[in-house]
Amino acid sequence: MKKVIVGNHAVSLGVKLARCEVISAYPITPQTQVVEMLSEMCASGELNARYIKVESEHSAMAACVGASAAGVRAFTASSSHGLVYMHEMLHWAAGGRLPIVMANVNRALGPGWNIWVDQSDSLSQRDTGWIQLYCETNQEVLDTTIQAFRLAEAVDLPVMVVLDAFYLSHTAEPVDIPDQALVDEFLPQRNATHKLDTADPHAFGALVRPEDYTEMRHDQQLAMARAMTAFDAIEQDWARLTGRSWPALEAYHADDADLLLLTSGTITSTARDVIDERRAAGDRIGLLKMKMFRPFPTAALRTALRGVRRVAVLDRNVSPGHGGIFAEEIRSALYDMPLDDRPMLFGYVLGLGGRDVTPAVINDIIDSTRTAVSPEREDLWVGVKS
Amino acid sequence: MSEPAVTHDSPPRISVSSTSTLANRTGSWKYIRPRYQDGVAPCNARCPTGVDVEGYMNLLREGRIADALDLVLRENPMPAITGRVCHHPCELACNRAQYDDPVAVHLVEREMGDRVLSMPPPVLRRTHTEKVAVVGSGPAGLACAYHLARLGYGVTVFEEAAKAGGMLRQGIPDYRLPRDILDRQIRWFSDAGIEFRCNTRIAGEYADKLLRDYAAVFVATGAHRSRPLGVTGEDSPRVMAGLDFLKAVNRGEAPEIGRRVVVVGGGNTAIDCARTALRLGATPVVLYRRTRQEMPAIAAEVDEAMREGIAFEFLAAPRAVHHLQGRQAGVECERMVLGEPDASGRRRPVPSNAGTFSILAETVLTAIGEEPGLEALPLHAAAPDQALIDELGATPAAGIWAGGDAAGIERTVSDALGSGKVAAIGIDRAIRTRNGEEVPPNDIAELRWSGGNISMSRWRGDDPVQRHGATNEVVGFDRLNTAHFVHVTRQREARDADHVTVEPVGTAFERATDGTAFDFGEVNPGLTAMQALEEARRCLNCGVCNQCELCLILCPDVAITRQEGGTGFDIDLNYCKGCGVCAMECPRGAIVMTREGL
Ligand code: SF4
Ligand code: SF4
Ligand code: SF4
Repeated sequence: MKKVIVGNHAVSLGVKLARCEVISAYPITPQTQVVEMLSEMCASGELNARYIKVESEHSAMAACVGASAAGVRAFTASSSHGLVYMHEMLHWAAGGRLPIVMANVNRALGPGWNIWVDQSDSLSQRDTGWIQLYCETNQEVLDTTIQAFRLAEAVDLPVMVVLDAFYLSHTAEPVDIPDQALVDEFLPQRNATHKLDTADPHAFGALVRPEDYTEMRHDQQLAMARAMTAFDAIEQDWARLTGRSWPALEAYHADDADLLLLTSGTITSTARDVIDERRAAGDRIGLLKMKMFRPFPTAALRTALRGVRRVAVLDRNVSPGHGGIFAEEIRSALYDMPLDDRPMLFGYVLGLGGRDVTPAVINDIIDSTRTAVSPEREDLWVGVKS
Repeated sequence: MSEPAVTHDSPPRISVSSTSTLANRTGSWKYIRPRYQDGVAPCNARCPTGVDVEGYMNLLREGRIADALDLVLRENPMPAITGRVCHHPCELACNRAQYDDPVAVHLVEREMGDRVLSMPPPVLRRTHTEKVAVVGSGPAGLACAYHLARLGYGVTVFEEAAKAGGMLRQGIPDYRLPRDILDRQIRWFSDAGIEFRCNTRIAGEYADKLLRDYAAVFVATGAHRSRPLGVTGEDSPRVMAGLDFLKAVNRGEAPEIGRRVVVVGGGNTAIDCARTALRLGATPVVLYRRTRQEMPAIAAEVDEAMREGIAFEFLAAPRAVHHLQGRQAGVECERMVLGEPDASGRRRPVPSNAGTFSILAETVLTAIGEEPGLEALPLHAAAPDQALIDELGATPAAGIWAGGDAAGIERTVSDALGSGKVAAIGIDRAIRTRNGEEVPPNDIAELRWSGGNISMSRWRGDDPVQRHGATNEVVGFDRLNTAHFVHVTRQREARDADHVTVEPVGTAFERATDGTAFDFGEVNPGLTAMQALEEARRCLNCGVCNQCELCLILCPDVAITRQEGGTGFDIDLNYCKGCGVCAMECPRGAIVMTREGL
């Protein structure tokens, strides 16, 4: 059934269809609608889940950790300061190998106080051990939320579904809402291997000696690697059931392109329009959309970029003292490629704190990438006023 | 990165202790321990009838309506009536008042009462051979009769008037207590097996004779004689006892009172007189020698009277009634000021130097108090102005108990009901003791809701509410954890008249659209069944565990578990480390921390 809904509600509906059993969250703009709708569903009985009110995001994640350890499906949603406030617990969730799903609405960090889109909040959680999936449309948000539970449970790792503030969170689009029966077929009940059981209590997350710690982390790394393959399988299964596909790395007119834009989030949609126009005028330009940021799709990227001359990475985020975070990561993924195959990488930092990224901005980027001899610096800041 | 299979082949490597943590008795860390104990809600402690308000609100919340009705009827046989006329001190005590608005207990009670009246009365099985005589069929007499019948005794109620009900029928106007409700309530009692003998005056030798046929006699003859003003001109035909006026109107007569009516007094009789006079077309003025604050009348009644447009002349006392020409009288009044507090704690009115003024009136209604009628009692059972009774209602005369307005209690319907219940317990105890039965040597204080009235359930020892480590402490607002509550607006009737913006449909105010035509129809429309349940859900269940399970969820040591076979919880002190989370979080103060070893 198609409904016109905002991205936040696409998350809520996904969580409901996934038959999530415990939800704990703390409200923060622009995420609040996600959990508001879920709390109403819990109150009305439409969703048979326990909603745990907490006094902070740190506690929200702690509650999810406990619930997930006890073997149930747990979910939270956050944004910006809320997300960075739960930073410590993100490590506990991942290290504890708990398949928690979270939606994070990308929002800038203060100061200055800013509620608009910016990826620095989720990207600064890069090393917590969470799988990260960035979405472009509300349909993708809903589908990814459901997929996230299956992925998380397949590899015992937590998954963060990421969506842009306002462009997705508060903008309504037609979304096809799958039947419960379809979702039930796709996503069976969780079957946890280790459960916290009050009748036979054991200490979870207790002391681990130096002799064993490395193996724990290594196992986490192996799971991340498995997540890569698992995601593709899950994706295919979803495509079989719904006809919709949201690959980890999506190519758009990339086959014969001499210049590729590398995007994530809603900037992708704007870039698609620009590409359509330019293609109509005979321009051989294409795009790679990065949905998956962790695990990092290194192999797929190398394949997709082999032989491409120039790449422009559009980063709506920045790692101060270095550059755009996607650009950094892609650069390091390309390092092992033979020099001849390796494209010249232009890393643009733009759209911070919700500044609009218009087709004109993207056109300028394309033109300057084409005309430059080589990138002037690692971080090319777009539209900085003097 | 290597890329192994997708399948969930091996469990993830996580740190889990191989041995059970039960070996780690965290309980040894503590120096304070939680105690799971139900206390007493303030509403229960303040209800003059001794109703388990908290208990039935909780049953309503759980949707157990039949059980809730039973819990009310154990203590209060006429919720339809108390729900209408009780001054509801429970709501003054209600902890929720300190959070938003007090729970509208009387309105919930009233809706329950109306349900009771539409159901067949309980079958009160006779289990004792003894019969008890009740003299007077006002609220005290009715309550005593009902409770005795419920305890298994045969009961006969003697009433001097043609119909039972006492002051409920004769003194309380229709617009507060519709006759229909009262009639149905009396029928409910007689259908339940209580015998009524109306038109029967018990006094002098008749009183003595009752003890030949009855094992005990309960005298509740009320207070029916208006106290005189004690001013010159009081014998004027223009001066009438307020209570006589109300009785006449309640009999269906319409006394000639003219247009201008002065009512003297500040109690409920005065307000009833003024509002009744208004409904007969008069323009009443209430004369009271203190101020609004000291008025003993039910505050809501005063509010309503004012909103009906009745004038009040405060700090004014009548000094003389002058007979003028025609049917007019001049009431000469003196201005008063408030002086030192008197024995009642209220500031005493003393004459000011401002001189006197006069009010013209066709009728002066006196309502400065009533004297009890004690004719049914032997002389040694009464002081000059009231029956003498002990803690359980017994008079010094063997076999004779007393209660209600005649026995010097607070002059309210609910206090009268409460005194009737207490005497029923006193009589039961005396008869059973006489029969050689083992009557628990109960400390009477333990039967009380923490210093309030006696609980019939406690006396019978068959409280249907399971109490956990019960104490008799009142749990005040400071012991509640309001973090777990949400604000919910009270159904109808905000705390004071200032809150009223739109007249609820069905009230006298709404009917009297032109602001004058008040009728004798019931002023307050009460709550619908749905609204009553909503209101019951506002109750915070102060001091009593309502199984919310917060403690169970929040105890970090999983030391709290559901009691096997019971309704409550067990705290495993082997693992409780005394962190205090449960006591801190319990929304209703049903867990307290105590020192180790105490
Ligand atoms: S909230 Fe409920 S239990 Fe508490 S005082 Fe008020 S009526 Fe009684
Ligand atoms: S927290 Fe809830 S369940 Fe626990 S004692 Fe208090 S009222 Fe009872
Ligand atoms: S919360 Fe648990 S551990 Fe803490 S005092 Fe209560 S019973 Fe003991």
